Amino acid sequence: MPEPHAYSKSIRPKGEALVWFTGMGLGVGILLIAGLLAVILKNGLSMFWPDTIYQVELVEGATAGPTNGKDFAGAIALERYKRLQEEGVRLTREFQFFTGNKDAYGQMYHFVDSDQILRDASGKPRFTPADGILQLERIEFGDALGYPVAIDLADGSSITEPDALRSTLFETIEASNERLKAYTKIERQQIGRINSRMESIRLEQRALRDELGAAAAESSDRMQKLTAQREALQLKYNDLAAEARALRDRRAEDSVRLRLPSGEERRIGFDNITQAHFPNEMSLPDKVGFFFRQIWRFVSEDPREANTEGGIFPAIFGTFVMTLLMSIAVMPFGVVAAIYLREYASQGVIVRAVRISVNNLAGVPSIVYGVFGLGFFVYVLGGSIDELFFSKRLPTATFGTGGILWASLTLALMTVPVVIVATEEALSAVPRGMREAALACGASKWQTIQRIVLPASAPGILTGLILAMARGAGEVAPLMLVGVVKLAPTLPLDGAFPFFHLDRKFMHLGFHIYDLAFQSPDSDAAKPMVFATTLLLIVLVIVLNLSAITLRNHLRRKYKGDTF
Amino acid sequence: MERYFHKELEAIRSKLIFMGEKANEAGRLAVEGFIESDLEKIDAAFAMDDQIDALEVEINRDAVRYITLRSPVSSDVRLVFVSIKASHDLERAGDEAHSIAKRTRSILTRDGKINDPVAIQEMSRLAFAMLRDAITSFLEEDLELAQGIIERDKEVDRLNKDNFKKLSHAMNTANGEVSTQIETIIISKSIERIADHAKNLAEEVIYLLTGE
Amino acid sequence: MSQETTTTSQKEDFEPFIQIKDDYNFWYGSAQVLFDLNLNIPKKQVTAFIGPSGCGKSTLLRSINRMNDLIEGIVHKGDITIGGQSIYDPALEVISLRKRIGMVFQKYNPFPKSIYENIVFSLRIAGRNRRSELDEVVERSLRGAALWDEVKDRLHESALSMSGGQMQRLCIARAIANSPEVLLMDEPCSALDPIATGKVEELIHELKKEYTIVIVTHNMQQAARVSDRTAFFYLGKLIEYDITDTIFMNPKNDQTEAYVSGRFG
Ligand SMILES: Nc1ncnc2c1ncn2[C@@H]1O[C@H](COP(=O)(O)OP(=O)(O)OP(=O)(O)O)[C@@H](O)[C@H]1O
Ligand SMILES: [Mg+2]
Repeated sequence: MPEPHAYSKSIRPKGEALVWFTGMGLGVGILLIAGLLAVILKNGLSMFWPDTIYQVELVEGATAGPTNGKDFAGAIALERYKRLQEEGVRLTREFQFFTGNKDAYGQMYHFVDSDQILRDASGKPRFTPADGILQLERIEFGDALGYPVAIDLADGSSITEPDALRSTLFETIEASNERLKAYTKIERQQIGRINSRMESIRLEQRALRDELGAAAAESSDRMQKLTAQREALQLKYNDLAAEARALRDRRAEDSVRLRLPSGEERRIGFDNITQAHFPNEMSLPDKVGFFFRQIWRFVSEDPREANTEGGIFPAIFGTFVMTLLMSIAVMPFGVVAAIYLREYASQGVIVRAVRISVNNLAGVPSIVYGVFGLGFFVYVLGGSIDELFFSKRLPTATFGTGGILWASLTLALMTVPVVIVATEEALSAVPRGMREAALACGASKWQTIQRIVLPASAPGILTGLILAMARGAGEVAPLMLVGVVKLAPTLPLDGAFPFFHLDRKFMHLGFHIYDLAFQSPDSDAAKPMVFATTLLLIVLVIVLNLSAITLRNHLRRKYKGDTF
Repeated sequence: MERYFHKELEAIRSKLIFMGEKANEAGRLAVEGFIESDLEKIDAAFAMDDQIDALEVEINRDAVRYITLRSPVSSDVRLVFVSIKASHDLERAGDEAHSIAKRTRSILTRDGKINDPVAIQEMSRLAFAMLRDAITSFLEEDLELAQGIIERDKEVDRLNKDNFKKLSHAMNTANGEVSTQIETIIISKSIERIADHAKNLAEEVIYLLTGE
Repeated sequence: MSQETTTTSQKEDFEPFIQIKDDYNFWYGSAQVLFDLNLNIPKKQVTAFIGPSGCGKSTLLRSINRMNDLIEGIVHKGDITIGGQSIYDPALEVISLRKRIGMVFQKYNPFPKSIYENIVFSLRIAGRNRRSELDEVVERSLRGAALWDEVKDRLHESALSMSGGQMQRLCIARAIANSPEVLLMDEPCSALDPIATGKVEELIHELKKEYTIVIVTHNMQQAARVSDRTAFFYLGKLIEYDITDTIFMNPKNDQTEAYVSGRFG
């Protein structure tokens, strides 16, 4: 009996090869991205995890290790095989240890061949966790690793009893950090304020001299008053400086003595210590807590030691502010241009030419924009602004040098084609019926655009902005020409008038990565920082994008298309 | 939902009822003129015929317009069709009344008076009651009343047959004027026809109300 | 069977409000779509435009409020006057013209705004923002478009969340919100169920007490039911224009007869 319906039973329907092919393309893409993220996540996050420190014993006659054959302690940072050239080609295992104590050992990381390490019964290199080892995070010379021997306090007493030593250690660090805070506050705020007032007095005096001539100026009332003021300020400055110095010196009077794993003893002043922990004695919850604390310190603190230590807060902040400024600059500019192109300009040859040029601008290499930004914004615009408004400060440039404003504008210029193209697309996607409806209600063309067309195309415009932001936030090359620096002393936004300092140089995550990776004196020490910073840059871009996407989806829902 | 053009349908209905009244009135006047030997009533009956004819034309025109422009359905379309048919029946009833009036005048001008109105009287009472009830059943959409009318037609038919026998017998016995007998037979027949139209009307009302 | 002259009834015993005159012709670029039109549309009555698809009904309707101006390359010859004033008068502002004319489009096109804002749009752009006035207009317009009961509890939801038929009625409500003198409706019931269609027809019947209404419809019954006069177009020409009763019961022109009786083509 024949079946009532004969369906095709082929497993592989015809024409599906293309589907496989496209699917594969997508798969490869996802794999690449996932791999990249995994590498960055692993390397970036491992920097914050408190690793166990092992005591490493070397074989007789070994020459490896930080102190030529002596035992040492460290965390295993890397384990790999390497080719030994001298005896044909032989593979051997080698370990990289984080040993800290840069002041004693010269470097913080050391490679040791596995055959230099003493083996246990089963023939594997022997690593015994170093009991009671202390890891100190220092302002200078990176971390110190060692066994605490004694704490010598300012009052001359020495504490050696282990339990008392531990509690005193943490108390003293806390007290010392308090003092640090106190004197940074004095230096940053009070002294900073005095400095800026003295600077303005100096400028005024100079102006007086220019005006009246040096001799006449010296004898004028105003000048004498200013000098008196300056002297008073100078006195105040001296007082504050002394106070700060006292606090700073007080910190150095307490110190801790460590016995390094390699045997020698070292004295470390508390002025150099920011944090201490006993990595081998931490429970898992302790480690997790420490991990998150470290992450927080990383994103909230300033960098130290040529950026290889400390946090990256100024870079995050700089990137964020710059991207925001860029968005603020690029949005109105791009949207207005697109509105004119699409809605008002008669669609002739010229408009078509302009449109093609705009599209091409999107493909110009970013460094070209950097050069343009430097030549036009910094030298021409900035130079003129300085001459017009800040001539008193010359030859010190205010706007005539790279700064966050010029950097933002340069990036805005670079990303404006993206916004224009996206906006034009969005505008032309608004159905004609909707415009006609508005016009039939008696709306003028501008009212129609403003009240109907723009809101309806807002999601599309935002998509353009998202693309622009993603491109702008990750761009480094042009910034190097127009205002990014490896270490900025101040943030672009702070408590000093006028709060928003558009002229200031700033730090940027992308540039920070470049700086760490290629300009750092100790590349091993910088490597974890590179990954952690990369991770943050990615997170920042994702956060910026996600917020824009959320906004767009919200708008989309609001202006959702037809239902039937 | 009541639509603005339903008023037009209502107007057709009213016109039909008005026409029914007119036809009934014309028949009643003609028969009364016969029974009472009243020429004035006969003249009045004559006069109504034109009005009835005009009403039929009007109803037909309205109905066609309604069908064309308002695309009626269901009971509305039945009403329109019933209006056309009913107006036709009423027009024919009016014609019968006209015929009664004509015969009566002929008898009256010849004999001066009607000698024996009794047979016609009973029959016309029944026939006009039917016509009136048919109109009422249309007006009040009274299905039972309409169904009752159909049975009542038989009685009128019987009376008509009796009249026919009686009058043809009288003709055979040469009792009185033959012309008068013949004309009375025709009048009787007309009344029977009016009852028939009343019956038709009732059937149309049933169709209107039940769709069957 | 080309018919060179328009059949019109001899007597036009009404006061014309919209006049399409001087042999009105219309081109999209080089394609002529309207040919030598002359017709007078009576004040406060309903005039229906009927004719096969593509015969230029929408084009003529959109000419009346100069909606076609948006399209590039249009050319016209002849004149259209409303209340005696030419719509092509250079001194006349198109915006003020459109404010006097409400329009319901062939494809419903609500704004991506709330129901409420859709209706008060024409008031807002005229700078009328008084809350009480707007509320009153919204209710009146929605009632007029037989939509009030359905949406009175969701006035501030997006108009795009409504059904197609509701959107169409919203567009009608929007068109009458500003109390225009003329109402142009291009197939206002194309997406409506019979009930809503009936309601809209009732509305048109109601509105003609105050407005001059021109309606384009493909539904012969609808044209017959709602209009006082009917114009039949074919291939851009006005074939017959007369009172609706005549067009549907006794058209003078064979093409009209064939079209209204469905024998066309
Ligand atoms: N924007 C336009 N550009 C060019 N030609 C057009 C345009 N709009 C309409 N036409 C043409 O003009 C003619 C008339 O179109 P119109 O829209 O007025 O027809 P219609 O009678 O409203 O048809 P329908 O009943 O299908 O809506 C058609 O042949 C159409 O192809
Ligand atoms: Mg159309």
